[in-house]
Amino acid sequence: MPRILGVDIPNDKKTHISLRYIYGIGPAMALRLCEQAGVDPLRLAKELNEDDVSRLATILDREYTVEGPLRRQIQQNIARLKDIGSYRGSRHRRNLPCRGQRSKTNARTRKGPRKTVAGKKGVKDK
Amino acid sequence: MGRSLKKGPHVDLRLLEKVEKLKAKGNRDPIKTWARDCTIIPDFVGLTFLVHNGKLFLKVYATEDMVGHNLGEFSPTRTFRGHTAKSKSSSK
Repeated sequence: MPRILGVDIPNDKKTHISLRYIYGIGPAMALRLCEQAGVDPLRLAKELNEDDVSRLATILDREYTVEGPLRRQIQQNIARLKDIGSYRGSRHRRNLPCRGQRSKTNARTRKGPRKTVAGKKGVKDK
Repeated sequence: MGRSLKKGPHVDLRLLEKVEKLKAKGNRDPIKTWARDCTIIPDFVGLTFLVHNGKLFLKVYATEDMVGHNLGEFSPTRTFRGHTAKSKSSSK
């Protein structure tokens, strides 16, 4: 199994699919990367030779932010919002949606599993 | 989010005028404003604004990092004091 940038071990899927196991690479990026490296995106990943892998790795290294650095960048952006005391930052701090969605109901992705409050309207008391 | 680049940032013209006047004079008095939708541009850095939140004017000191955000983003309009801990009247 080929290893690209340390930990990522894409399996025996087509190259453009396996590249998406790298954090920060989606469908579009995977195809672009293949083109840049001159790799056939439809060939299976296990058929890639050393040369192909190293070419992919150098391009990734040079031109894109993926994995750790990307994660760090995202965290830094959020930290900046918190730091300057913006509304979006305060929403991040409270783990609520930041882009104006309603939070009276729904917003479960951000709020996590439902926490039932006793004594609230609709909740049956024993 | 997602304002067309073609238009450029929205800056309240009257506020900009005030900023320029203040800069010419060289003092740093806070500027009272209702223009919450005004983008903070590099010229605003180092100035203090009193941004209306519908009730009060909150002090907003514009820093380098705030460039590109709107004044209103730093003057919250809602107060959330938390939910009631436990209402003894088990009503409904």
